[in-house]
Amino acid sequence: MSADDTNDESKHPYETEDSFHPLGAEWEDQMRDELEDTEFDADLGMEMARDAQRLVAGELSEEEFYAEYHEDIEDEFEVDERPVFDDIDDVDLDAAEDESMLESLTDVDFENEDTSRREMMKKMGAGAAFLGYGAYATYDQDDEQIPENVSGIRPADKDEREHRWGMVIDLERCDGCLSCVTGCINENGTSTGANWMYVFTYDDEDTDQQNFLVRPCQHCSNAPCAKVCPVRARHVRSKDGLVLTDYEICIGCRYCQVACPYGVNYFQWGEPDVPMSDLENLEMRPEEVRSLDEEERHKKLSEANDHVYDERGRWTDSRPPKGVMGKCTMCPSRQDGHTDNPKGTVACQDACDEAGMSAIHFGDLDDPESRPNTYLERRQEVEESPKEKSEKFEDAEDYEQPPAPHPVSQLPTFKLLEDLNTEPNVTYIGNQPGANATETPEERPVPYESLSNDWGVKVVAERKEHLDYGARANGGLEEGEGEA
Amino acid sequence: MATKEQKEPEPADIIRPILNTSKWWYIGFGAAAAVALVWLAAFGFQLQEGLIVTNLADWGSGGGVTWGLYIGAFIWWVGIAHGGIILSAAVRLFGMTKYQPVARMAELLTLSALAMAGLYIVVHMGRPDRLVTSVVNAYPWTVQTSPLAWDVTVITLYFVMTATYIGLTLRYDTYQLRDRLPDILSPLYSVVLIGYSEKEDEVIERMVWWLALGIIVMAPLLLHGGVIPWLFSLIPSMPGWDGAIQGPQFLSIALTSALSGVIILAYSTRIAYDWDHIFTDRVVRGLTNWLGIFSLMFVWLQLQQVINGLFAAHVRPEVVMTAKLANPVYQMAIGIMAVVLAYIFAQAVKPSVFSQTRSLIASFGVLIATLSEKILFVYEGLAYPQFGLYDQVPGHYTPSLVELSSLAGTVALCAIIFMVILKLFPVIELHAVEGHDDHDEEVSS
Ligand code: SF4
Ligand code: SF4
Ligand code: SF4
Repeated sequence: MSADDTNDESKHPYETEDSFHPLGAEWEDQMRDELEDTEFDADLGMEMARDAQRLVAGELSEEEFYAEYHEDIEDEFEVDERPVFDDIDDVDLDAAEDESMLESLTDVDFENEDTSRREMMKKMGAGAAFLGYGAYATYDQDDEQIPENVSGIRPADKDEREHRWGMVIDLERCDGCLSCVTGCINENGTSTGANWMYVFTYDDEDTDQQNFLVRPCQHCSNAPCAKVCPVRARHVRSKDGLVLTDYEICIGCRYCQVACPYGVNYFQWGEPDVPMSDLENLEMRPEEVRSLDEEERHKKLSEANDHVYDERGRWTDSRPPKGVMGKCTMCPSRQDGHTDNPKGTVACQDACDEAGMSAIHFGDLDDPESRPNTYLERRQEVEESPKEKSEKFEDAEDYEQPPAPHPVSQLPTFKLLEDLNTEPNVTYIGNQPGANATETPEERPVPYESLSNDWGVKVVAERKEHLDYGARANGGLEEGEGEA
Repeated sequence: MATKEQKEPEPADIIRPILNTSKWWYIGFGAAAAVALVWLAAFGFQLQEGLIVTNLADWGSGGGVTWGLYIGAFIWWVGIAHGGIILSAAVRLFGMTKYQPVARMAELLTLSALAMAGLYIVVHMGRPDRLVTSVVNAYPWTVQTSPLAWDVTVITLYFVMTATYIGLTLRYDTYQLRDRLPDILSPLYSVVLIGYSEKEDEVIERMVWWLALGIIVMAPLLLHGGVIPWLFSLIPSMPGWDGAIQGPQFLSIALTSALSGVIILAYSTRIAYDWDHIFTDRVVRGLTNWLGIFSLMFVWLQLQQVINGLFAAHVRPEVVMTAKLANPVYQMAIGIMAVVLAYIFAQAVKPSVFSQTRSLIASFGVLIATLSEKILFVYEGLAYPQFGLYDQVPGHYTPSLVELSSLAGTVALCAIIFMVILKLFPVIELHAVEGHDDHDEEVSS
């Protein structure tokens, strides 16, 4: 890892012979000069700085970085007086944002009180401080130090999060009954045509049979919709990876809808069909809900069987209000355990189970014992054992190919548009629609228009016509408007 | 357009609009105000009812496009603004004295076009009331990830830069012409002149030069060759928007639109204030030639995109390109560009083909073509996403009357801004008439 390291590990682009710093060789030389003016080892300083860059790039962990230099620093400065990383948390990173890095670092509460902070900074040398900890702070701030009212765009790391909610959907079991669509509408009170859950009936070149694709939001772990949101209304809940929209913050720019590759977003163009008063909710303003302490909030939300707030007191569940973006939420009020429905279930899955199909399997993908993981495992086993398979499927002729010579799963699974690197959390069992697959609306076993729901909201497959009608119905003023 | 004996441009010329107001000004102003008011009423209606009064809808199973005319018009206005400031910066930076009379017009066009672009952001949003609170709160984080946050940043930055730029150069003119300007406006002029001393002129000239340099350098890197196209080209799931070519494409469109805008402004003020000795045929012809160069670039980049999309491309890019070529709006836009190019080449070869009126018509043509191309660009991207399973969902998009009225409304507002400034400050720089070079011979036929 040191400068004379000769092996051919992947080199960071900054880590060239001439210069490792993004500001270039000149800047680096200047820093070196400054370091050389101090009485301390300039090479060590520069080396630390170089590795700090790698730390930022994620090639080096904090621990490695610390361990690497602990002894060197002790030799050089008699004692390692650098702030340990816990102390770094005390630094006001907002202040660090406006480049007052040096100043904010001097706020660190060092354990060793013999040396004043000022002296310490001098010892470290301006160069190393800027290059090293400046870089460290940038790295740190991106990931963790965002205030509570601003959400992140990634689920927390595996050992820090509680769950990673997702689904396994068995397309081979789906018969296109659209029960899930109705289930979702009943749960969320979405408006006509805003089918958060949508099921394609499609033809594919290489098969004669009818195919279905069940399409909720994929709750991507690397969600482009959350990345592009200019206000962080669309965000990824770090504790469980749910991709949600904060209806109180969204400005309705619709960039999330533009960036999502799957077309799962539905904007609330006009007044929602189901009024707020009909939704099950705690009669409090969101800011009041948020101001409660956690326990109190949970109690109140549970008493109200609330289906609008999540546990943070954010309005993220049920249909959005006018001018705001909505999409499948994976039912966060259920996952936060304050509704009458158990945690770990979603309404579309309930409806699918009730219809006797059990194609949708929702659960914690991090948990090997969860429903989606055990289902997938079981299906793979069945697929591998021809005997069981023929017991399971009546029509054995369809599966006449000899058993695989080695136990590799033959079960076709896929994720949608995986190469776009969105890391979707929905895995499908079945064949992936080919490039020339075409939807065949006229062949739907059950048409959307025939669905009825608890709210009496009309259901349609496609929304445009409906919205156009709305535009015309509201078009009173437009009549009188001359084109200039 | 043969010219008679050459009048010498003088300071009196450039303050004429401030001193005299003809009935045509009032008529023009009244008409523009009426159009703007109609649109404001339509916008009010939209605020009340929600965006359902547009013909936008959800892409996907919704069968529509979620961005349309509003975003198309937004990038069009930003293009005019960015192009305008690049022109003016080029004039200053490269000492193109011939074009100095149009430099400030280009800057004013930039300011008002930017204001319209800003307005379109508001008009486009579902919850404009939250714009400030929501954006500010998360800004330090969203600016790291959201191209839309970059855009807002850049538009603000550019607004400030342009305003500074104009402000700085205005001070000199106002000071020099102060005695001849109407007393009634003197409070305004005193504000403009706060702290002015003649010594600053040289410093300011240098500052303006550096600002111009900054603009020229930033324009392709960050502005219309950068963040604005990135809004689209960074979305990998929309093949119609994909590709690094969007940067140059956007820049060429910005420059053509801005040149057209400047030609239109020069032509109208020339008629209104007898400025034919300032906006001479020579100046307008020069602008027309530049328009030709950038129009050629525009057509060339379109060709690149189309050929790359069609020849052995992946399935989806081919679908988009085929749809684009078949679209009558696209055919119209390219057709207009072809006619414009034919005219510009003809007049370059044979000066007698040139006339200011023809250049004016060409300019309007270019503006219509670039606007259509922009709206179509936004539409096509969303209508032909990578995820092709939605293709069978029926859908179409024709902007609603509320949306269309915004075009008329913003053009009218832009005209109003310009007409008001015309009454307050000289829209031609004093430098341009003071140092007017005499060997600027007219090109006559
Ligand atoms: S499917 Fe679309 S809306 Fe859902 S998380 Fe992924 S990108 Fe976002
Ligand atoms: S529509 Fe709302 S959630 Fe989506 S990107 Fe815009 S502000 Fe964010
Ligand atoms: S998970 Fe919940 S919100 Fe998503 S489709 Fe199913 S019921 Fe609807």
